[in-house]
Amino acid sequence: MRLRRAAYRAFRSSAALQHVLVRRLTPAGRLVLAALAAAAIIGPNTRLTVAYQAFTFLVALLAIATALSARVPPRLGVRRRLPRFGTAGEPLVYTVTLQNPTGRLQSGLVLMEDLEDPRPTFEAFVTQREPGEERRNWFDRTVGFPRWAWLMARARRAAIEAQPLPPLPSRQEVDVRIEVTPVSRGSLRFTGVTVARPDPLGLVRSLAEVPAPASILVLPRRYPLPRFELPGARRHQPGGVALASSVGDSEEFLSLRDYRPGDPLRRIHWRSWARAGRPVVKELHDEFFVRHALLLDTFLPPGGDARFEEAVSVAASFVGGTGSQEALLDLMFVGPEAYTFTAGRGVGHVDRMLEVLASVRPCTDRAFAALADLVVSRHTGLSGAICVFLAWDDARRSLIDTLRGLGVPVLVLLVEDAAVPGTAEPDGVHRLTAGNIAQGLARL
Amino acid sequence: MTPPGLLGVALLFWGWQTGFLAVGAGMALATEARHVIRWRWDLARADFNRVSDLSAVLLVVIAVYQVLGNESARAITGLFQWLPLTVFPLVFCQVYSVVGTVDASIFFWSLRRRADAEPSRPGTPVDLTYPYFALVVLASSAANVRSPSFYVGLCALTAWALWRLRSRRYATVSWAAAVAGAVALGYAGHLGLAEMQRALEQRASAWLLEYIRRDTDPYRSSTAIGQLGTVKLSDAIVLRVDAPDGRRPLLLRDAAYNVYSSPVWFATDAGFTAVRAEGDGASWSLADAPAPAADSVTISAYLRRGTGMLAMPAGTTRLDGLVVVELSRNRLGAVKVEEGLGLVRYDARFGRAAVSDGPPTPADLAMPPREADVVARVLGELSVGQGPPADIVNRVRGFFMGRFTYSRFLRGSTVGVSPLEDFLVRTRAGHCEYFATATVLLLRGAGIPARYAVGYAVHEWSGLERRYVVRASDAHSWALAWIDGAWREIDTTPPEWMGDTDTALLRPLDDLWSWLTFGFSRWRWGERDDRLTTSVGWLLVPLLAILGWRLYVRRRVSTPPPAPPRRVAPPRGADSEFYLVERRLQALTFERAPGEPLSAWLRRIEAAHVPGLAMAPVAAMLTLHYRYRFDPDGLPEEERRTLASSARHWLDRSDVRLESAAASGGAGGGTAPGSPARPPR
Repeated sequence: MRLRRAAYRAFRSSAALQHVLVRRLTPAGRLVLAALAAAAIIGPNTRLTVAYQAFTFLVALLAIATALSARVPPRLGVRRRLPRFGTAGEPLVYTVTLQNPTGRLQSGLVLMEDLEDPRPTFEAFVTQREPGEERRNWFDRTVGFPRWAWLMARARRAAIEAQPLPPLPSRQEVDVRIEVTPVSRGSLRFTGVTVARPDPLGLVRSLAEVPAPASILVLPRRYPLPRFELPGARRHQPGGVALASSVGDSEEFLSLRDYRPGDPLRRIHWRSWARAGRPVVKELHDEFFVRHALLLDTFLPPGGDARFEEAVSVAASFVGGTGSQEALLDLMFVGPEAYTFTAGRGVGHVDRMLEVLASVRPCTDRAFAALADLVVSRHTGLSGAICVFLAWDDARRSLIDTLRGLGVPVLVLLVEDAAVPGTAEPDGVHRLTAGNIAQGLARL
Repeated sequence: MTPPGLLGVALLFWGWQTGFLAVGAGMALATEARHVIRWRWDLARADFNRVSDLSAVLLVVIAVYQVLGNESARAITGLFQWLPLTVFPLVFCQVYSVVGTVDASIFFWSLRRRADAEPSRPGTPVDLTYPYFALVVLASSAANVRSPSFYVGLCALTAWALWRLRSRRYATVSWAAAVAGAVALGYAGHLGLAEMQRALEQRASAWLLEYIRRDTDPYRSSTAIGQLGTVKLSDAIVLRVDAPDGRRPLLLRDAAYNVYSSPVWFATDAGFTAVRAEGDGASWSLADAPAPAADSVTISAYLRRGTGMLAMPAGTTRLDGLVVVELSRNRLGAVKVEEGLGLVRYDARFGRAAVSDGPPTPADLAMPPREADVVARVLGELSVGQGPPADIVNRVRGFFMGRFTYSRFLRGSTVGVSPLEDFLVRTRAGHCEYFATATVLLLRGAGIPARYAVGYAVHEWSGLERRYVVRASDAHSWALAWIDGAWREIDTTPPEWMGDTDTALLRPLDDLWSWLTFGFSRWRWGERDDRLTTSVGWLLVPLLAILGWRLYVRRRVSTPPPAPPRRVAPPRGADSEFYLVERRLQALTFERAPGEPLSAWLRRIEAAHVPGLAMAPVAAMLTLHYRYRFDPDGLPEEERRTLASSARHWLDRSDVRLESAAASGGAGGGTAPGSPARPPR
């Protein structure tokens, strides 16, 4: 544990140093620093090489650049206009409005977005395991650099390049378009904006940090779905969604019955009342919704982190996919408890469901039976079920058998790390390979 | 990528500094031709991996070459000097590839594996040209050219590179001032650094240095006389002696000295004079007059940076097969090489009498006053009179032979007594320097001119190498006495000193390694009878040919993405005068945001109420401009003329405004909110 703590401290401080260097030094400055280190290695003996001359010259360059960048750049007014959502893997464009409060034209400035610190806590560093870590060598497992790198990469939702700013006229506002491609779903949190001014040599930047906290919810990556029939869906529903979402009943006549208090007046069948001498109302057909369950398997097999992300993306593709407004979709998964979210036909909104999917985490403290119980208890209202599974084992097979036994048509999508050649697809199960999900879905 | 010319000039600079000008020029030409040659290779990651592997192989080959042929410090700088060549294939492929960058994964096995596992994952593109530029300039420093040319070149090239990357926020003057400051500071700094090292080195123990270096100083030889503790010497092999039919000389001399001032021997009045080479440039005659040479031995010795003293038997009259630029010798028989290779191998022909050394001078009889007393006492004890010199020498030999023992362990001497006196009278034990010094002084006391000589004793036959090897621990000193008109070697150290070494356990391994490096060095320093050079050189040819062929054949598909002479007709209305108006407005007011419609921008300018700027005609012009540009029917000739004339009229008026703004010194620029900004530059 002591070694772990020492390693953690070392990684943490080197990440901090790297952060400072990347911000304070321009790419040219970083190259000068690297060349300086190289000159220091080969040049300590001033008789052997003349690298010491390069060493002192580069030190002088950096020293002068640092001295010239001692003054803090002007504090600009910053207003960020962010969209509510982004999508993992899709470029996202937003604008930052900068106001130059000074009496001078400001040119040559650089804008850097400050994102939330991606460094994991010591607890996370100790407890969370990188997928495939057991295959690493002893040194990597003990010191844990790959794990650190994995945690950092996971927490860093996006990398935003430093943006050169156009000339900012005095006391005026300028909009800057920033394009960023989030790499993973979840919340992308900004803490502020840093305005950097390079020195005349273009090596060192002076920084002025402006706090501007904000966040964007990054929705899961979605894949295009082919046109296909959801299991159990009916075709050509008369009226479709427009009718169903505005009125509770359809216009289809079923029978006549006696008036019961509370029946709307427009349902009274006047002619029958006249004939029978008591109020009689028309009884109309109930609207039958097509209702699908979308089961997301959150029970992570060992090392299935990448698979889980893909499974979330597959589920998200179905949420935003074909004909969802024609039917109700129940998203079911097990997190801290068993959840069902319903969307479609004006009941919920697809966005809400994608938001839920943006934040879904693997379930570690429950068994798969929790999901099975949830879906079986609701099977009566279901026209069909789409199951996104991370593995294919007895528990999952028995759930599918149960559902089929109950008359619920099932589409099973199995997300795997790599295609296992020679394994036959079980009946009604579509295998999807992580990295080739889009091709797999296109075959549906 | 680096601006045109920068990399090429840097490579030329490297070639000039390191002496590989042809190689540097070739590489410069190859990189800079990219600005002329239009075709590019469509190289995949796998191709770059292959090139990266080639670079790694080149690096290993050069590293082995340097390590085997050099001492460690020189090997590192030598390797560094060659680095531009090893990395060159990668940079070459980068600049001639369609993508123009390389992926960071090519440098690391782990990243390569990951990239193979997830081909869809975007890589990290890296532009190698600037780092390569830095590497080339730094590698030039390893050539160690001690003239201002390196610093001048370094500053000029760095400034060129920085010029492209400077911030446009500042005036050129401030940039130039900052660079000049750095040049001055760096210059002062490196002078100070060199001075500091010099001062530090002067403080370091001279004693230590003497025992680390093999180099013999022909002018002074510090002895360990008077030092405490055990004298330790290395087991490293420093000389190799091939003697035909086993007739070897016992002693090889490096240098001789004539003045003793405890504990140092000096060579006074012993300036070096150049020796002229004979016809083939590799034969050197050391005798003033032709002398019969009875024997010859072949000696191989390493030289530090091509300079050093040559060890040779006494009476050497001639050196053959010695490929050096400059050879000089002094009156005392020391021979110095000025410019040679790392390893020299020469045949020394020698006779019995050392005719090549200068005749004795009064200095060869001088007695240091401090030792005169004890020398006189010992001579009295030996009852040496004015007998024949040979007799005296025998007596002195006998004196040391019977009563003295060899010891490397040195005890402290009695206070107030010179170490030599302590040795002669009290301890009667010491190492060769005591014996040699005492012998010289005793002979001088008896009237025989004598000198102190240092060099090596040849006594160890190596079964492995089939020749005699001489280790650093075989370093020896002895006396030279002028007897019967010639200098004779008088070695009075008891012979058991030769076995007095603690053999290290790993010595056989060390010797094997030493033998291998010796073999390599022989090849490296270009011995004529060795065909290894050519064979290894030829080995590289198929390697490069395979790589070149693979590159050529596999990617010929997409050879020319030709110089794009895109013959696209200019869009209709591209000649509209409104563009001039727009440019002028940008200069006078503020920039149009990307994607902002012209009309919205004009409204924004109008809202800013820039004094003296007539916006109404601009709005009218915009309408015409839009029609000219987008109306499928185009603009009637008359309206087209109106657009042109009103634009010209407006531009003329705004010229006046621009001049008046310039005349007011731009003082009004941006003092009140909404006032127009000054032009960006």
